[in-house]
Amino acid sequence: MEGLIMWLDFPVYASAAILCWLAASGLFLTSGKKLMNQMAAGLSAAGTTFLLVFIVILWIHIQRPPMRTLGETRLWYAIFISAIGLASYLRWKYKWLVSYSLGLAMVFLIINLQHPETYDKTLMPALQSPWFIPHVIVYIFAYAMLGASSLVALRNLFFVPTEKTIQGAIQMADNLVYLGFSFLTLGLLFGALWAKEAWGHYWTWDPKETWAFITWMFYLVYIHYRFRHPSEHKKAMAILTASFAILLICWFGVNYLPSAENSVHVYSE
Amino acid sequence: MSNKNSRKTRTNPWSYRDGTIVTVAILSLGFAIQAASGGIVIRIAGFPWNLVAGLIFLAILLSAFVLWRKHRAMKWLGSVKAALPAILGFTFLVLLMGFVKQDVEPKNALSRLFGLTHLIKTWPFILINLYLLILLGIATLKRLTPFNLKNTGFFLNHFGLFLVLFSTALGSSDMQRLSMNCYKNQDVNLAVDASGKSVEMPFTVKLLNFTIDEFRPKVTIIETKTGQPFSEKVKERFELMDRDSFNISGFRINVVKFLENSGKVGDSFEAWNEPGSAPSAKVRVTNLTNHSEISGWICSGSFANPAQVLELNDQLSLAMLPAEPRKFSSELDIQAKNGKRVATTIEVNHPFKMDGWMIYQQGYNTEMGRWSNLNVLELVRDPWLPIVYLGIFLMMAGAGFLFFTGKPKNGGTNHVA
Repeated sequence: MEGLIMWLDFPVYASAAILCWLAASGLFLTSGKKLMNQMAAGLSAAGTTFLLVFIVILWIHIQRPPMRTLGETRLWYAIFISAIGLASYLRWKYKWLVSYSLGLAMVFLIINLQHPETYDKTLMPALQSPWFIPHVIVYIFAYAMLGASSLVALRNLFFVPTEKTIQGAIQMADNLVYLGFSFLTLGLLFGALWAKEAWGHYWTWDPKETWAFITWMFYLVYIHYRFRHPSEHKKAMAILTASFAILLICWFGVNYLPSAENSVHVYSE
Repeated sequence: MSNKNSRKTRTNPWSYRDGTIVTVAILSLGFAIQAASGGIVIRIAGFPWNLVAGLIFLAILLSAFVLWRKHRAMKWLGSVKAALPAILGFTFLVLLMGFVKQDVEPKNALSRLFGLTHLIKTWPFILINLYLLILLGIATLKRLTPFNLKNTGFFLNHFGLFLVLFSTALGSSDMQRLSMNCYKNQDVNLAVDASGKSVEMPFTVKLLNFTIDEFRPKVTIIETKTGQPFSEKVKERFELMDRDSFNISGFRINVVKFLENSGKVGDSFEAWNEPGSAPSAKVRVTNLTNHSEISGWICSGSFANPAQVLELNDQLSLAMLPAEPRKFSSELDIQAKNGKRVATTIEVNHPFKMDGWMIYQQGYNTEMGRWSNLNVLELVRDPWLPIVYLGIFLMMAGAGFLFFTGKPKNGGTNHVA
């Protein structure tokens, strides 16, 4: 469409970003030196900046916010997930976390590079909203964090750690849940505000909404349980694993439930 | 350590066991009342009774807290021991909603008896909501007095959720969702609710113009005989007609001429902008395997005109799909009873606010497409919305706190009064 010419330059920007992010991840994962970590953070920010420059030029070129096609939304995912990953690193200092987010962001860029036909894939009018991108991004990030937390939980359940090593492991699970849960809450609330703009009501118990809410409740149970029972590790980890199973139903399973016919969230393509 | 904990919970009179008993009792009572009342759905009383009930509830909650805050039962009500079973009880109901399709006619006697297909309007749902509100309210008050800055996140999350639950529950009966059928250049001031009852609006709406912006249509290869898509497996099954040339399923398509609005004249198409006109294109198609060429017109057709496909060989044809809408918009002239008059344009995702009503673009005559002379508006009034939003914003701020502060040290027990 109008912006297709601009997309010809996309591989240049995308490769620059991917190179920066690969270098950043490499440095984060191999080096323990403070200077190296700072360099890695810088490289990670540089990669995001390349994409940001591309999207600004694209925006000016097509004279509308580039939030209308599938390819455009993936650009935003890559930008924000890398940025949120870096922000979480700066706050929580988990180095693998930023590499993980950069990995996710790279996946979105690579999908875009491989499917140039989606640069102009149309979005239905209800999806053309400023809420669409924040809603999806916070959910992707929440799911990524909560997925990571359940990996930690499974490891703690099957490789029985000693009393000494469990502290670090369970603290990591907690921090990931808090990060993920805060984004899950935002995703739910952004969705509510958007629904009010688009469909007239902020909450209609659409099956996807119902399952998102159930997921939210399960993590709520985990948080409250950990709060009161700091030393019941096994049970906490079991709750966390169950919560992730619910999250997966919400993510993939809802489409197959009989209760979900006619849901606005069932994506057919 | 864990053994000691679990023994303590068993002997302590205000423990998880009591939390579980209370929650189960509330749910059972709810289902019992629901069954006894013959499975009717419940509506909470409308204004002003909901407001009065809400204020009485708040007054009782506050005074009970002030009077008995030192009592063990009160401390328990504001604790995780009561909260966890309550959350699980609520989750149980929502899980039921996740599996049983909602807002349909009940399929069996059991669903009818317990209201399983309309759970949010049943007694168990309302009672557990009320119980959660009490717990949230007391937990908030407990942490609020004396106020400690470190409890800000706790306050935002719990009080935010309290406000959302409180205002959605009480406001549900004051919320009105109506739909209004507008025909071009006609004044309308009646709308209908879900039950089909007419409601007079405080303003008159006149539809001046309704437009649909369309994306360029897509083309696909179909089997001529069946009209079905040629191959499900091919990745590029559909292509948007926005380039001069592109490949699809082993054919190269060159677009010689594209007409956004057209009608058939003899064997070809010409620009024509009247109801029933449709997009069409003259294309040159090259078979990439044997390099044979064929030219002709394709058209997606409309309610007034049949579609035109281009036969490529014995089996396959090239077809144009109906264009997908990019944007619907309605130009409205709205005249309020008090004399105020506005001209505005509404779109999906861009409603308009008028005298406490939000006006949404909802539908149109899809068969007529962009020539539709009917436009359906949705009108929504929700006077409790500001309180819901306040709760939502508090919770958003609370989510920010969760992100930055993470899990409180020592399980957060430091700041519990």
